[in-house]
Amino acid sequence: MPPLWKWLLPSIIAILLVESSGAQQASDGTSATPASSPLTEAQLKAAIALDSLTVPTPGEFFKAIDKTGKPNWVSQFRPPTPIGGVNRAQMALNLGTLIADGYIAVEAQDGQQVKNIGRDVLALAKKLSVSDSVLARGKSITQFAEDGSWDQLNEELEATQNEVKKALVENRDNDLITLVSIGGWIRGTQVVTGLLVESYNPETAKLLRQPALVGYLRSKLDQLPNKFRQDKLVVKVNADLQNIANLVSFPADHVPTADEVKTLNQATAKLTKEISAGE
Amino acid sequence: MKRLLLSISVLLCGTAVLFGAETDEQTKAHSEVLDLAGAFQNDGFKLRDGTWYAQASQGHPMVIQVNLYSGNAYWFAVANANSSTGLTVSVFDDHGNPVEVQNYQKDNKAAAGFSPDASGLYYVEVSSSAPAATLFCLIYSYK
Repeated sequence: MPPLWKWLLPSIIAILLVESSGAQQASDGTSATPASSPLTEAQLKAAIALDSLTVPTPGEFFKAIDKTGKPNWVSQFRPPTPIGGVNRAQMALNLGTLIADGYIAVEAQDGQQVKNIGRDVLALAKKLSVSDSVLARGKSITQFAEDGSWDQLNEELEATQNEVKKALVENRDNDLITLVSIGGWIRGTQVVTGLLVESYNPETAKLLRQPALVGYLRSKLDQLPNKFRQDKLVVKVNADLQNIANLVSFPADHVPTADEVKTLNQATAKLTKEISAGE
Repeated sequence: MKRLLLSISVLLCGTAVLFGAETDEQTKAHSEVLDLAGAFQNDGFKLRDGTWYAQASQGHPMVIQVNLYSGNAYWFAVANANSSTGLTVSVFDDHGNPVEVQNYQKDNKAAAGFSPDASGLYYVEVSSSAPAATLFCLIYSYK
């Protein structure tokens, strides 16, 4: 088979699949475009929320940013963060921010930075007793970084994050999963707002609208056992998230101004700093 | 009694997912939905490394919350282990109003493609034409 066909075939199959869907619907006489009736209040209340699907990954957030221009990802690197760890809650939050750093390094296509962060993620995972299961992922990250396989690195980072969460479940540390997700979202939002402070773009600013997501994360914090909920840093994170929730809760047709973005950037930068310091 | 057995099976199913052990039915449904999502991956879509297993039956759809970004394109794909069960995927905005999607539906597989105008919360509903509750697996991809 000529190389061109090898390249084109998957795309043709995908197009045919989507096209055939129209034919399928027509022959069935069904139309779910859009669905016939709105969801009831009861259905909205009963809707499932899962960490692995309801909380977007930093990679998903950054993919949307890439479409709005050429972000200067390197400008959002931060100095190596201490991985000593005050307690398990702080380490879990910090691990989330570090995984987000990994996505930033991938977006910047900086192999050395990816490897450095991968090493820190593994070291912190070890402190949380989940290193064995993510060790193989760490090796893959290094290999992909050396090869410059950026797409695979994105997938590997998400797989690593899920591997860490799975290991936390196996270690009966389910409560820490919420903290890893929160750390990742805070750092991701700091980076996106940082890019906007540097170069304001209304299309990117619109992406900051995530009211339900912060509400979901805060509800998970409220469900934590007392030992975590009363942790000094977690109390601070919860209080700051309330303020941040207000900043990302705006109508769908509102575009955050440069000043609003700056306020959000300051709030998330402060929180990221507190998480890494364990204050 | 039937309801009790159903509750126990759902509980066991949920427990199995929580601790990472997939049942044979879940493995089959997962494999089927990955088969469908492969076509989207070939078109540049990135697959999220997360799955949702649940049970739906005729008149008893299941709904999950997702937080999406405007500018991205999404495909929500579902499948189950039983090839004769018809599944449908629908997407709703944060008020529960239906949004326009591109549909795919064949045998035990279905998908909805969607590019949100606004970032934020959306609901994805999975409906089944089967009278009895059957397990399905949902995944999503984006680009």
